[in-house]
Amino acid sequence: MSAALAAARSSGTPAEPMIDVTGLVKVYGGNGDDAGAGVVRAVDGIDFHVDRGEFFGFLGPNGSGKTTTIKILTTLLRPTGGTVRVGGLDVVRDPREVRKMLGYAGQSIGVDGDLTGRENLRLIGHLYHLPGSVVRDRVEELLEVLQLTEAADRPAGTYSGGMRRRLDLGSGLVHHPPLLFLDEPTTGLDPQTRNAVWEYLRALHRTERMTIFLTTQYMEEADQLCQRLAIMDHGRIVAAGSPPELKAGIGADLITIRLPQDEGFEASRARALALAQGVPDVSGVVEFDQGVTMRAGHGGATLVEVLRRLEADRIRVNEVAVAPPTLDQVFLQHTGREMRVEEVRPTSSGPWARHRRD
Amino acid sequence: MATAESVYRPSTPALSAPAALGSAGGIVTEILWVAYRSLRKLSRSPFLLFFTLMMPIIWLGMFSQTFGTVFDRAASGPGQAPLAYNYIAVLLPGIAVMSAIQSAAQSGFSMVSDIETGFMDKFLVAPISRASVLLGKTLADGVRMAAQTAIVLAIAFLFCVAFGWKIPFATGVAGDAMIVVLTAAFGVAFAGLSNSVALFTKRTETTMLVSFTLTFPLLFLSTAMLPYDLLPGWVQTFSKYNPVSYVATASRTLILTGWNWTEIGQAFLAVAIVAVLLYSLAVFAFRRQTA
Repeated sequence: MSAALAAARSSGTPAEPMIDVTGLVKVYGGNGDDAGAGVVRAVDGIDFHVDRGEFFGFLGPNGSGKTTTIKILTTLLRPTGGTVRVGGLDVVRDPREVRKMLGYAGQSIGVDGDLTGRENLRLIGHLYHLPGSVVRDRVEELLEVLQLTEAADRPAGTYSGGMRRRLDLGSGLVHHPPLLFLDEPTTGLDPQTRNAVWEYLRALHRTERMTIFLTTQYMEEADQLCQRLAIMDHGRIVAAGSPPELKAGIGADLITIRLPQDEGFEASRARALALAQGVPDVSGVVEFDQGVTMRAGHGGATLVEVLRRLEADRIRVNEVAVAPPTLDQVFLQHTGREMRVEEVRPTSSGPWARHRRD
Repeated sequence: MATAESVYRPSTPALSAPAALGSAGGIVTEILWVAYRSLRKLSRSPFLLFFTLMMPIIWLGMFSQTFGTVFDRAASGPGQAPLAYNYIAVLLPGIAVMSAIQSAAQSGFSMVSDIETGFMDKFLVAPISRASVLLGKTLADGVRMAAQTAIVLAIAFLFCVAFGWKIPFATGVAGDAMIVVLTAAFGVAFAGLSNSVALFTKRTETTMLVSFTLTFPLLFLSTAMLPYDLLPGWVQTFSKYNPVSYVATASRTLILTGWNWTEIGQAFLAVAIVAVLLYSLAVFAFRRQTA
């Protein structure tokens, strides 16, 4: 085992992060490739790091540069500029050593439909030069864990989308990598399968102490899984931090107060509006068809104060709600746009794709 | 998936595998596994397998029937004794090399398909050489070409016994084995072209077009279909620079007269030159794609 690989595995070296990216730039079409297409800065100078054992995510819409970044980190693409170190090694100078320590499951599921599930996994094991007996044991174990044992001898082409996704995930795990890259691992899956994959990833992260780098365009996925995440837009990181930190950065919970729809509704609503505006910590009070909404730094405490004042003024309240800020609001605040999920299934990936940026 | 603990409980120790990983795994192992996978895929497509192996026999029947009588007249001038062998004996090595070229022209298709399905990324993130991927795939094609050649030779022999075809088979089984090796070697070398086009364009259509456009001139402007003496002057000139000629001529001599080590040596040299040129191109194409 190389020293770097050994270092990558030992959990007791907190000094160097697992992934360390500085000034990363990727330009497509700048060197005569694909003449006619304009020069595209898919990744436009990003810096970030991922600690050992961390579950880290890139959140962003299609075309934001997530996939380009993951392809560079996994040595599938060469960066145009900047430095990328994975497990203490430079991905450009030492790609072979970097490859040994990473597992990867791409956006377009890299499963061979002609081979059975078992054959798919075994092939990968052999490509990593694992001894035959280790490959056999490990593959059986993964088939069981991924609930594919029954289907193991069927060609993978007959699998459902969820099964193919699980098999693909398995092929990224055959060699026990200390670092796992997942490019939109649940895109195109139904909610139930998505939950199962999440559950599995959490377990993997916890029991194997694996460092996991994931890209997603689902807010909920990032929120549920990632300890820390970076929000990407147009090739740049517009915000980074843990989901609670990012939401706290918005600085406000959303308070909604619904009033009874009786003859006094209009008057009550106007008074409620005026009262709420007088409460410290409240901002952005607006009327809507059922009552008023406002933002508050400390939703719970502020709500109690608002309700106390309403009661003192004998305004009857029908219903109240406090919602913490969501990542949607975080994205909106940092980009000025709402994030829309586009369910586009790419047929090609990474270095091979023509003009795809993400 | 029920509880988290039942979801993931690794039984193999996490550190045992990477220890083995560090050992210098040979490029040969990598090539063999890539080739094994390609052959496995082929075995799962019975129709493809069937037509792959039958194709040369169809060529053989077609060409020998169409051109056989013309050849007999051309080769044996008026007043000369009839030849001791049929046109089919002359054509046999040509058909073998033609089938190999056809298979070589299709070799890049699997490259395009792996790129499109994303399976290529599995190869590329594994700590294996890029050359292993290329060589493993073309090695599998070589096995296919060898099987094609062996089958067409065997069928031709059976027809000699059954229908009285006149094919000398001057060097016997050993000579046939040499033809199989030579033909497959040329096919593997020529497969470098279709793989280069596949890697440059990433398109099946282009790969097919470029390869097929070159296939027929290479075949017909060579000694594959007719011996050198019967070719028109300018085709003779071209055929001297065409590697297909050297493979066809060496194979033909093995069938008609006997061992000619000069011809065999020249044929392998031609194969080596083609291989070096086309594989340099293919490796360049491969590197360029991941830049």
